[in-house]
Amino acid sequence: MAITHDVPPQLDDLVPTAHRVREAIESVIEGKGDVIRLTLTVMLAEGHLLIEDVPGVGKTMLAKALARSIDCPVRRVQFTPDLLPSDITGVSAYNQQTMEFEFKPGPVFASIVVGDEINRASPKTQSALLECMEEHQVTVDGVTYPLDTPFMVIATQNPIEMEGTYPLPEAQRDRFTARIAMGYPEPSAELEMLDVHGGTSPLDKLQPVATTAEITALIAAVRAVYVSQAIKRYAIDLVTATRRSPELRLGASPRSTLHLIRTARAHAAMLGRDYVIPDDLQDLAVPVLAHRLLPSVEAQGQRRLPEHVMADIVRQVPVPEAQAR
Amino acid sequence: MRLPIASGVATLAVATTLYPLFDSTTWLWTVVGAILTVTVLGVLADRFNLPLWAMPLASLLGLTLYMTAVFARDEAWLWVIPNWDSVTALAELWNRGFGDIQRFAAPVPDQPGIVALTAVGVGVIAVLVDLFAVRARVAALAGLPLLALFTVPAAVIVEPIAWPSFILAAFGYLVLLVADGRERVSRWGRAVLVRRRPGPGDVTGQRHQGPLRLSGKRIGFAAVALAVLLPTVVPDLAPNPLFGFGVGSGLGRGNNTISIPNPIAGLRGQLTLPEEARVMTYSSADGNPRYLRTWSLDVFDGEAFEMTPPTGRPQDRVDEGPLPPPPGMSGAVPAKSNQLRVQMSPELGKLSFLPLPYPAAQIGIEGDWRADRSTLVVFSHVEYAAGLSYNVVSNEPRPSGRTLDEAGPAPVDIATRYLQLPDSLPESIRDLARRETRTGKTPFQKAVQLQKWFTERGGFTYQLRTEGHSASALEDFLLYSRAGYCEQFAVSMAVLARILDIPARVAIGYTGGTRIGDSTWEVTTRDTHAWPELYFEGAGWLAFEPTPTGAAGQGTGQVPEYTRFTPPSAADSGTETETDTPASTPEEEETAAGTTQRNQGPLDREGAAAPVTVEEETPVLAWIAAGTGVLLLILLIPALIRVLTRTRRLRAVGSRAVVRLWAELDDMLYDYGMSRGPSESSRAMARRLTEKFEFGQEAAGAVARVASATERLMYARDPGTVTVSAEDVETVRKALAASVTRGRRMRATLLPPSTFARFRVMSGRVLDGFDWLESVGARSLTRRLARK
Repeated sequence: MAITHDVPPQLDDLVPTAHRVREAIESVIEGKGDVIRLTLTVMLAEGHLLIEDVPGVGKTMLAKALARSIDCPVRRVQFTPDLLPSDITGVSAYNQQTMEFEFKPGPVFASIVVGDEINRASPKTQSALLECMEEHQVTVDGVTYPLDTPFMVIATQNPIEMEGTYPLPEAQRDRFTARIAMGYPEPSAELEMLDVHGGTSPLDKLQPVATTAEITALIAAVRAVYVSQAIKRYAIDLVTATRRSPELRLGASPRSTLHLIRTARAHAAMLGRDYVIPDDLQDLAVPVLAHRLLPSVEAQGQRRLPEHVMADIVRQVPVPEAQAR
Repeated sequence: MRLPIASGVATLAVATTLYPLFDSTTWLWTVVGAILTVTVLGVLADRFNLPLWAMPLASLLGLTLYMTAVFARDEAWLWVIPNWDSVTALAELWNRGFGDIQRFAAPVPDQPGIVALTAVGVGVIAVLVDLFAVRARVAALAGLPLLALFTVPAAVIVEPIAWPSFILAAFGYLVLLVADGRERVSRWGRAVLVRRRPGPGDVTGQRHQGPLRLSGKRIGFAAVALAVLLPTVVPDLAPNPLFGFGVGSGLGRGNNTISIPNPIAGLRGQLTLPEEARVMTYSSADGNPRYLRTWSLDVFDGEAFEMTPPTGRPQDRVDEGPLPPPPGMSGAVPAKSNQLRVQMSPELGKLSFLPLPYPAAQIGIEGDWRADRSTLVVFSHVEYAAGLSYNVVSNEPRPSGRTLDEAGPAPVDIATRYLQLPDSLPESIRDLARRETRTGKTPFQKAVQLQKWFTERGGFTYQLRTEGHSASALEDFLLYSRAGYCEQFAVSMAVLARILDIPARVAIGYTGGTRIGDSTWEVTTRDTHAWPELYFEGAGWLAFEPTPTGAAGQGTGQVPEYTRFTPPSAADSGTETETDTPASTPEEEETAAGTTQRNQGPLDREGAAAPVTVEEETPVLAWIAAGTGVLLLILLIPALIRVLTRTRRLRAVGSRAVVRLWAELDDMLYDYGMSRGPSESSRAMARRLTEKFEFGQEAAGAVARVASATERLMYARDPGTVTVSAEDVETVRKALAASVTRGRRMRATLLPPSTFARFRVMSGRVLDGFDWLESVGARSLTRRLARK
C-alpha cells in the first residue's frame, strides 16, 4: 500500500478520469450505466464485486472492458470443480539451475482478477481466493507475497445451474463489497449490440483511458472524502435495522458497515462531492448489504427477497434530522 | 402491587377527598386505621386462602374490634373485645354522630361521633372494594363503592371538588385496575415488561401499529387528563330559571344546601296576599324603625337581578364574634350604633336567611348561622329563621352630604362586581340615565337626582299589577308604562346607577313596618320590599328609596335621611315634600295624575323609540356572535403559533438560519399535505418537489439552494458560507401554494397540521415520561425480587 496522504489529492482533477473510464466501458456494454457506475464505485472503494446472473449477459465482458480501459494487468480464472488452490495463488517450483525454489505467481497477481463461475470450484479453492481478497497478500511455503494495487476481484456466479456447484456460503459472500445483477439489456440496447458486435468485437478497439497511477491516486482521493458523524450514525442505523428486522434471519455484519461507508465515499467522489450524504448510502444499501442477508422463514414463505426487505428498511429508517453544528 | 393492598390504596385515595368536610386532620388517621385493618385482613385472607365468604365477615369483625379499640377502649375487655358496655358506648357515639351531622354544616369540627361514623363508613367501603376487586375479581365494579364514597363530598359541599383531589381519587382507582391487570397476566406466567420505544433501527413491523401500542395505562392517563381539563373549557350549566327575575328557584340539593327561594317572585306574592300575615315583630333601641334586609342581589343579566350564592366560612359564624367589617366603610364617617330585638313569626316557611338592618355588626343568636363577607347577608345551611328571636347590633354610617360628594372611586373588586351591565342594554336607557342626572356634579348628587326622578319628576306610579308589551320589562318600565312596584323601581335605579358608574345592588327584605307599641314594630307580608343600595367609598353601601311611599305607594317606606340633603345644583323642587308628593294623591285619581305627570318627559320616549325596535333581537344574536368569536379565537391559536414560529425561523441568522429555514420548509410541506418521508433526504425532497410540481427555474433554484445548504451544513467538512435566505423559502412556499387547492391552502393557514403534530409529539413525550417512571419502578421491583 504505497499510498500516502501527505498531499491531499485533488478530487476535481481525478473525477474526469473516472468518467472517462466509465464512458469507455459504456461504449462496449450498452444500456448498463448503473451497473458500470457501481462497478467503478466498488473499484474505487478497494472492494470486490460479485456479479450474479444468468450466462451471456456480459459479466465477463464488463470485467474485461474495465481492465482494458485502465491499462492494468488482468487475469481471468475459469473456476472448475478440479481447480486447485495453487492454481490461483501460484506455486513454488524447484529451479534446477539456481538450485532454489522459485515462486511462480498465480493469476491473483494482477490488478483485476476475473473469477468466472466461482461456484463451480470446490470450497477449498474458493476460500483460497477469498483469503487473497481480504488480506491483499498470498502466503506460499511460508513466504508472503503482497498483491498489486489496485487489486479487485470480480467474481461471477450463475444462479440457475445448481447441479455440481458449490454456491458461496453466506460467510464468504460477506467478503464481497457488493453484489449486482447485470440483467437483460433493453431491446433497443440489444439491437445496437447486434449492430456493433456483428463484425468485430468492440473490446479490441478499446484503448486505455487511464493509467494505474491515476486510479491509485483516485483511490487515495476517495479515502479523503469526509464522512460526518451524522452519516456514520445513519449507516449504523441502517445496518442495525437489518439485524432487528423480523423478516431477516441474519442481519448485516460490522464489516458490511465498513464496506457501506467506503463505497459511499467512492460514490460521493464519483459525483464530485467531497462529503457523503444520506443519498449515497440509500443508493448503495441494496447492492452492498442485500447479499449478506438471510430471509426468515416467514419472509421466504411470502417470497420476500432480502433485496425487497432491504429496500423497505431504507424507506423506513429516518435520515438524520437537521441541527445546527 | 398485591391486589388487596391496591384496593386499600384506592379506598384511601378516594377517602382523602373527604378532607374539605372536616376542620382538622385527626379524622384522617382514624380512617387510615380502619382501611389498614381491612387491608391487612385482606392480605392475610389471600395468603391463607380463606374461602370467599369468610373475608367480608372477617373484615367486618376486624372493623368492629378496631372501632371498639379506638372509641370504647375503657369499657371493653382487654381494650378490644366488645362487651355490653362498649357496644352501648359505641351506639351512643353513633347517635351523637348523627345528631352532630344534623347540627353542623361542613366543614365540621372533629367530633368523635362524626369521626366514628366516617371511619365505619369508609371501612365498609373498603370491605366492599376488597370484596369486588380481590374476592370476586371484578376490579372495575369496585369503582361503584368508591364512587359512592366520592359523591359524599361532591354532594355536601357547594364548591366543586378541587381538581388535585379528583386526580388523586382517579389515580387510586387506576392503581387498582393496573394491579388487577398485572395479577391477571401473572397467572399466565411472568409479566413481560416491553420497552415501548424501539431502537432507531427497529422499524419494520412495529412502526405502523400505532394504535396497538396504546396501553391501558396511557388511556387511563389520557382519560384523567381530559376529565380535568375539559370542564375548564366547557361553559357552566347554571340552573337559571328560564323566565322572570330572581335567584335560583329553590333547587334543594340535599339537606346541607340552602334553598334560596326566588326572592323577587316571592316579593310580589307576599305583597298581593289576600290577608296579610305577620312576619316578625321587633323593638328598636333608639325608637326608629329600620329596613330589614334579607337578600342582596348583585348579578344583572339584562332582565333580572340575581344573587351570587353566598359563601360562609366556618370562621364567619355569627355566634363566634362580630360580623366581618362592612365593605367600604371607613372610620372617618361617623356611625351610629343601634340595637334591634327581633322575634320571627313561627309560621314562617323555610327561610334560611335572617332579616337584618344593614350593616349588622353583631348578632346574638343560637345555631350555625354564617355571614357572607362581601354582602353581610347571614344565612344557614341547617337552620331556619322561623320562630327565632335574636338581638342584632347595627352600626349605621351617618355621612354628611359633603363627605359623600367627596367620595373617591370604588376599589376594583367592588367596581368589577357591581358595575357589570350587559352590552345588550339599550342605548336609550343609557341616554336616559345621563340626561336625567346631567346637572349632578358628583356621583352622590347624581344618585340623589335619580331617586328624585323616580319619586317626583319622572311621573312614576305605584301599581302592583304590571303589564309589559316590550321584550324588555326594564325598557317598558322606564320608557313607556312608568308604573310598577318596588321591584321595578329598585332594579331600575340600580341599573341606572351602574350606568353612571356608581356600584349598585338590589336589597330584598322588609320595610320598617307599622308601629304597634312603644318602640315596637310589626312587619307583615305587605311590608316586603326591594330597594337599591349604592356604594360610596368611605360610607360603604347606602340604601336609597326610589319607590313611592305612603298610601299610594309602599305604605311603610321611608326615604333615607342622607338623601334629603339638597345638592346645590339639583334644587329644582322642594325637598321637604318629596315623600308626600305621590302620597297626597288619592288612589282613584292615580292613573289620571300619572298620565299628566308622564307628559313631563315625552322627549324620553320619542328619543328612545327608534333604537329600541332595532335592538329587540340583538341580545341572543350578540351572545351567539360573541360565543362564536371566542370559539374562533381559540381555534386560531394553532395558526397563531404557526405564524410566530415562522417569523422566528425566517429571522434567524448564521448556521442556525439554515436549520430553521429547513424546519420551516419541512413544516410547510406537512401543512400542504406533501410531507417528507422519514427517509427522504433534503436533496431527494428538492428533486421530488421540482419534478412533481413542475417548478419554474426560480422555485427550483430556491428549493435546491435550501436543500443544498442544509446538506452542506449537516454533512460537509466545511459548510462554507450560507447562501440561502428567507426569500428562497418564500419562493418555494408560493410555488407550492399555487399547486394545491384553495381548501388546502386555507387549512394550512388557519389550522396548520404541523402545529397539531407538534402538540402530538409533546403529549407523546409526556406519556413517555410516565412510561419511563413506570419502567424505573418495575426495574427496582425486579431487582428486589432477584435479591430475594
